[in-house]
Amino acid sequence: MSTWSNILAVARREFDVRVRTRTFALGTLLLVIGVVAIALLPVIVQAVEGGSSTKVAVVAPTEALGQRASLTITSLLNSSVVGTSSADTPDFVVTVVDDLTTAREGVRDGTYSAVLGMERAAGDELEFTLYTNDPATGKTAGLLQQGANAIAIGDRLDRLGVAPANQATLFAPAEFDVQWPDPERTDPIHETVASALGQDMLAFGMTILIFMIIIMYGNWIAMSVVEEKSSRVMEVVLNAATPFQLLAGKVFGVGAVAFLQYAAVVVAGVVAILAQGAVASVVLGDAAAAAISLPEGLTPGLLLMFGIYGVLGFLLYASLYAAAGSLVSRQEDVNAAVMPMSLISTAGYIVGVYAAMGLLDIRAGWIVVLTQVPFLSPFMMLGRAATGVAEPWEIVLSIALLVVTIGAAIWVASRIYAAGVLLYGQRPGARAVWRLLREGM
Amino acid sequence: MTLTITNLRKRFGEIQALDGVSLKIEPGEVFGFLGANGAGKTTTMRIVLSLMKPDAGTVTWNDRPAHDWPRRTWGYMPEERGLYLRMPVVDQLVHFASLYGVSRATARREAQQWLARFRIAEYADRRAETLSKGNQQKVQYIATILHDPDVLLMDEPFVGLDPVNVALLKAAFREMSDRGKTIVFSTHQLEQAEELCDSVAIIDHGRIVTAGTTREVKRSTGHQVVRVATGGDGDLGWLRALPHVTVTRDGADYAELHVDAGTNPQSVLQAAIAHGEVLHFEVADPSLEEVFVERVGALDVEERTLAAAPEARA
Repeated sequence: MSTWSNILAVARREFDVRVRTRTFALGTLLLVIGVVAIALLPVIVQAVEGGSSTKVAVVAPTEALGQRASLTITSLLNSSVVGTSSADTPDFVVTVVDDLTTAREGVRDGTYSAVLGMERAAGDELEFTLYTNDPATGKTAGLLQQGANAIAIGDRLDRLGVAPANQATLFAPAEFDVQWPDPERTDPIHETVASALGQDMLAFGMTILIFMIIIMYGNWIAMSVVEEKSSRVMEVVLNAATPFQLLAGKVFGVGAVAFLQYAAVVVAGVVAILAQGAVASVVLGDAAAAAISLPEGLTPGLLLMFGIYGVLGFLLYASLYAAAGSLVSRQEDVNAAVMPMSLISTAGYIVGVYAAMGLLDIRAGWIVVLTQVPFLSPFMMLGRAATGVAEPWEIVLSIALLVVTIGAAIWVASRIYAAGVLLYGQRPGARAVWRLLREGM
Repeated sequence: MTLTITNLRKRFGEIQALDGVSLKIEPGEVFGFLGANGAGKTTTMRIVLSLMKPDAGTVTWNDRPAHDWPRRTWGYMPEERGLYLRMPVVDQLVHFASLYGVSRATARREAQQWLARFRIAEYADRRAETLSKGNQQKVQYIATILHDPDVLLMDEPFVGLDPVNVALLKAAFREMSDRGKTIVFSTHQLEQAEELCDSVAIIDHGRIVTAGTTREVKRSTGHQVVRVATGGDGDLGWLRALPHVTVTRDGADYAELHVDAGTNPQSVLQAAIAHGEVLHFEVADPSLEEVFVERVGALDVEERTLAAAPEARA
């Protein structure tokens, strides 16, 4: 029987038994829901925050001062650039309350979010105290502090004899615009944090994804090998297929499962991001629905590199995970057997992520060298490429090194696998593995 | 079309597992491979199947090296049964057969037929782990033969089967044999071997002790077995006085004795008639078990118990 048809048959079985399980369906569904929720988070946050008003009670020494405070806060804060208020649901609704004790009680029972207490101190200056369960440096406190400043200024102007009508113009909001630093740039400026995500942040996220794919599906492969060993089905299939065919079939089968799961997640995420505008207009009304697009950093080039390093990294590690699995005969021993792969991939991941986040100098010579190491490059190259410090030859060289190493790893892995799968009992030490590699079984 | 095993040697660390094993197995033969645990049966089978490399020696099938033949030439039932426990029975049979190049449709159809024949058709879509050990073993046997191999190697195929299933499996063996398939199986249960095998080999400590047709092996000890029963007072003490005779079982009026090679058993009959009325006189070859005990020594108590009470292994 030809090698390829056996690899396909093994891959098909691996794929079928995994995809048909309820845990796979459930896990994929949860992942999709999670990704959609994250993609729609801005809309959800707006819906939750924008749909309600912050109720503030004002306690003032005189009724006139209370009215002034109410007017200043509503007119100033509800037109703030950071606010998202609409006519129906203003950000701040102010009530003037006579008694401070009653008002504080109101915060405690949830009637108000905060009480702004005002007193006229010696020297006629107004003093403010905010009573709230919200954080002192939070948005509500910060905005109310702005309001308090405005009230105090208005009060001083009163005492200086400036007429209230003139004061209204004084407090009219100024024109305020945000523009690109680059005069050539004419595209609209980022509306939200999400759309301002740079390539480096995306590369950071993709590195995490690659790491997760390798660890999670690599472990699956090791477990699946041990399962075949412990159920002794290995001897049956070994009579029909070569160790290489079994190993390659497992790697491709589980790889296809990984691809399916991640494709579902990526498609769901992209669709959710593209549909943000439509969802927002339904949930929040047309006025609030800003045009939201894919993050600008998500270039085809970066996506292609993510695909290449993801697939190559998986192939490299997956074949070694399979070999490690073949050295033990019980599920309990899998973790110990895959430890070397876990350590190396975690080290590469941590260095890669730290460099991408700027905690390590991404231009340092040792980082450049490490980035070429095939076991590390899948975790490190995306960060360097996205920040624009990787030369094209570096990328080409690291991919070439990866491909060569994968060939070697598959050769080594199928030797270990061929000998390991019929080995039961004691886990062989490094010397025994070396002997198996040299001599075969 | 002969399976020829020549001077196989294999060492695992300190242990010389095979120490020059040579065998000739004729096509269409049912061949019994007899030996204690650790004697080298499984290692020999694994080497024949190219699952393991020998340190020295060769295996040929029809004058070509065994590993040059397509995989579908060989069917293997390992001693430790192996099935995908969480996979439906028929699906895994199709999977195994497809690895040998059988089309999935054909494999499915034939698997269903075999399942029906072994009276487990209703389990076709059940997961293997829900089947009893005996039924799993029948599935295992189907997995061994579904791709229609020319040579079947089976390690302890009867262990764990109840008498009804043993009979079913024996019938299947004979049918495969009638179709020209060569069947090699190892066993502890020497009566099974005696009943089924055209030829047998006894292996001990990696060496073939004796091999040949079942009859040749039974005669290989050189002596014959005589069973004699007499009337009268039943005192058989005179038997011990006969030359070249060893009494192996001594009853009140019944005895079983070994007659050394070169001695005519008829001399025992003549002596018996001289001592009184003869009710029963029989000359036979020793049983395989007797040959085994004589050549290798008794299987230790544990192995006998295991062979006799197969479910204890499961």
